[in-house]
Amino acid sequence: MSASLYTTRRIKNIAAMAFSILATAIGLLFLAWILWETLSQGIAGLKPQLFTKITAYREEGGLANAMVGSLILNVLGILIATPIGVAAGTWLAEYSLRSRLGPTIRFLNDILLSAPSIVLGLFVYTVIVLPSKWLTNGDVTFSGIAGGIALALIALPVIVRTTDEMLRLVPGTLREAALSLGVPQWKLTMQILIRAARSGIVTGVLLALARISGETAPLLFTAFGNNFMTFNPIDKMPSLPQIIYEYTKDPSPDINTLAWAGAFVLTMFVLALSLVARFVFSRSKVSHD
Amino acid sequence: MTNMNEVASQPGFGTSPHASGVDLGQVPAKMTVRDVNFHYGDFHAIKSIAMDVPEKKVTAIIGPSGCGKSTLLRIFNRIYAIYPNLRASGEIILDGENILDPKYSLNRLRSKVGMVFQKPVPFPMTIFENVAYGIRHHEKLSRSEMESRVEQALRGAALWDEVKDKLKQSALGLSGGQQQRLCIARGIALKPEVLLLDEPTSALDPIATSRIEQLVEELKKDFTIVIVTHNMQQAARCSDMTAFMYMGELIEFDRTEKIFTKPDKKQTEDYITGRFG
Repeated sequence: MSASLYTTRRIKNIAAMAFSILATAIGLLFLAWILWETLSQGIAGLKPQLFTKITAYREEGGLANAMVGSLILNVLGILIATPIGVAAGTWLAEYSLRSRLGPTIRFLNDILLSAPSIVLGLFVYTVIVLPSKWLTNGDVTFSGIAGGIALALIALPVIVRTTDEMLRLVPGTLREAALSLGVPQWKLTMQILIRAARSGIVTGVLLALARISGETAPLLFTAFGNNFMTFNPIDKMPSLPQIIYEYTKDPSPDINTLAWAGAFVLTMFVLALSLVARFVFSRSKVSHD
Repeated sequence: MTNMNEVASQPGFGTSPHASGVDLGQVPAKMTVRDVNFHYGDFHAIKSIAMDVPEKKVTAIIGPSGCGKSTLLRIFNRIYAIYPNLRASGEIILDGENILDPKYSLNRLRSKVGMVFQKPVPFPMTIFENVAYGIRHHEKLSRSEMESRVEQALRGAALWDEVKDKLKQSALGLSGGQQQRLCIARGIALKPEVLLLDEPTSALDPIATSRIEQLVEELKKDFTIVIVTHNMQQAARCSDMTAFMYMGELIEFDRTEKIFTKPDKKQTEDYITGRFG
């Protein structure tokens, strides 16, 4: 190889490397900035009462009801979305081979994946909140269930997609090996393929959870919010993102500080979830090839 | 379609004029392949093949890449049927019945015809479960029966001594050669009559390869074996009969010794001597 060619290549390599590092640095800078900003603004609010008192006490209160509400809403959302999403993803990956419906559903799922979350909130408002109001003569309107369903609609396409992709990563030879033992397709799917793709699917569910735990818009018209602690899923239910949204608009600086503290807690929760997801995925990612 | 009973009762149908016409001596044919064609969509991958697979012998299928040897093997247990747009026609008679008949149950076929693939593919479960999994689907055994059955299969695959103390560990922790023997154990655990080996050693090192070859030698006492291989030495070392395929056709099928010393066809000679264009 000629020396000049080598030099040119080295220069190109350095340039490409520098560009990549710069791009990474920009991304990381904003991430660090966000974390720093939420921490520094919210640190004054990070007191025990943040976790023990409810929002009804305003400045003297905390965000306990919002945290509990968020937890219930997220769990509801994931409980609804996971079975449907895993089943749909499994169908796409394993059974849609011979049908033209498969690619169509995959495409529609991608559309749902990028649908604005407020639209999903309005949809649930129309099909759940309004009918439940009519049916119960106004006793039940906004509810935790409605909020959970709205969040499930956001989590669903994420779970469908990761399940589909993870199952398609399972080598075809594993399917052939099981089928060549005379094992029927449903057993193969339930007992071998899901198991082989388990860590990927769990990761998908955790990422979906991380995604929905920051959602505000779909909860505004569904769970609505509540300044008191409630465990009743047909009651109006508060959530962290929604309280943060309310509190940032508040004229009182102490309330604003509480919003920052809530934002910090939420960010940490999502960060922790992502770390757990990474851990789950890397730990049990056993090579099958 | 020919009457199956009539076919099975033909005297010495190993030398049936419909089939390859190779003299297998006194060895009866376990599987008789007749006018088998195979299409991948529009591509005609297997062209009118006929051959007799002798019982409790090792039959090797050799030929260059893309000649259809794996495809042929995959017709023998109809594993191709899991993909769309593939179709086989013709007849493959196993114990007097045509396995290509759609009425022939896949479940039954696959309990009679086991298969081991090119890459070792243990299931993501324990070593014990890997072997027990297939058995459980076909038979209801007590715990102790199952244990002895698994041990028997692992011994049969010459793996028992290496894994007997870690049956509860994941099979994914075994070496490649061990995994492949585990796959063989899994296959023979169902007590099949025919064992199909699709390039079983191509992903293994020479030591693991030689162990598998010794194993094949042992296994032919109980099973009819068909092995697809890229490795001509392997075919020469461990098979009794060899089929040479080229471009979807069966060029020559004869005793291994004859194929490798004085083949009838020029193409076969060119291939085994490495002068292939």
